[in-house]
Amino acid sequence: MLIENPLGISADAFPVLECLHIAGFALSIGITALVDFRLLGFGLQKQTPAQIARAFEWWTLGGLIVAVFSGLLIFSTDPDMYYLNWSFLIKMACLVLAIAFNYTIHKRALSPGLSPAAGRLVACISLALWVSVIFGGIFIAVIRPGLT
Amino acid sequence: MLISFLIWLQNLEPFSDLRSSAYVYPIVLALHLSAISLFGAMIVATDLRLLGWALRDGSIADVIGRLRWPKRIGFLLAATCGFSLFSSKAEEYYYNSFFRTKILLLVLVAVHALVFRRSVYGDPAELDRAPELPARAKVAAGLSLFLWLGILCCGRYIGYVEGRAGMHFK
Repeated sequence: MLIENPLGISADAFPVLECLHIAGFALSIGITALVDFRLLGFGLQKQTPAQIARAFEWWTLGGLIVAVFSGLLIFSTDPDMYYLNWSFLIKMACLVLAIAFNYTIHKRALSPGLSPAAGRLVACISLALWVSVIFGGIFIAVIRPGLT
Repeated sequence: MLISFLIWLQNLEPFSDLRSSAYVYPIVLALHLSAISLFGAMIVATDLRLLGWALRDGSIADVIGRLRWPKRIGFLLAATCGFSLFSSKAEEYYYNSFFRTKILLLVLVAVHALVFRRSVYGDPAELDRAPELPARAKVAAGLSLFLWLGILCCGRYIGYVEGRAGMHFK
């Protein structure tokens, strides 16, 4: 028996999920970028990078959770298309790397005693990983037509 | 008059090239979203400080002052990408009700800035001196979050309006 995805009931379900997805990732990626730019010497210089990260810790995590769960629901509307979409696969690889990096090396880079040069390198890697996730997401729709 | 200007705009070489390009268009779109992330987070950071929900050990004046120029640069980046995307299909966007709502909300953002310039953003040190965070600061922050979230959602919904027939694309 074919099971209907409940998201198919309303035409608004998909765009609403996309809005949540964008708001969620904008919050979490943007706050992480604020920390990264602070590591590079820009922005909220009264605070240390660690203080900025801690001040918004729950907002960053909240945004990430909203983005991931809305993303899972978006994925559920057409799983085999996403599974066969190489841009989606690259996005997932970058996402896993970015999250792992964020909660390990990036976190350690915020502790005192690390050289500023190492901090800048970590910031650049973090920014590059998260921007790759955004680009991977956009290009899912670009290569979709080639899949039929 | 406006329509003929928009038709002229969308058929300028860079914008008609953008319209027909397979890869440049999504790259500009991805840059638009990257800039939105950066800009949006700075808006959220400022507003959360004004609401007293984050960075409370730092002064409001410091947060507003240090993010003023980065915010302007972030907005300029997002707006430049957005303008390019708009210009590639200017005539179609003109008829798009979500695009119109988005522009209306952006005008309201400008009104918001004018209304709260004197009482909130222009003299944040005054807010820091107050024994308790003044209500006007919280109202300004709440409205700002609401407006920008509305702009974000309208932006996404623009793409869900079907293209019109009879557009003057060259």
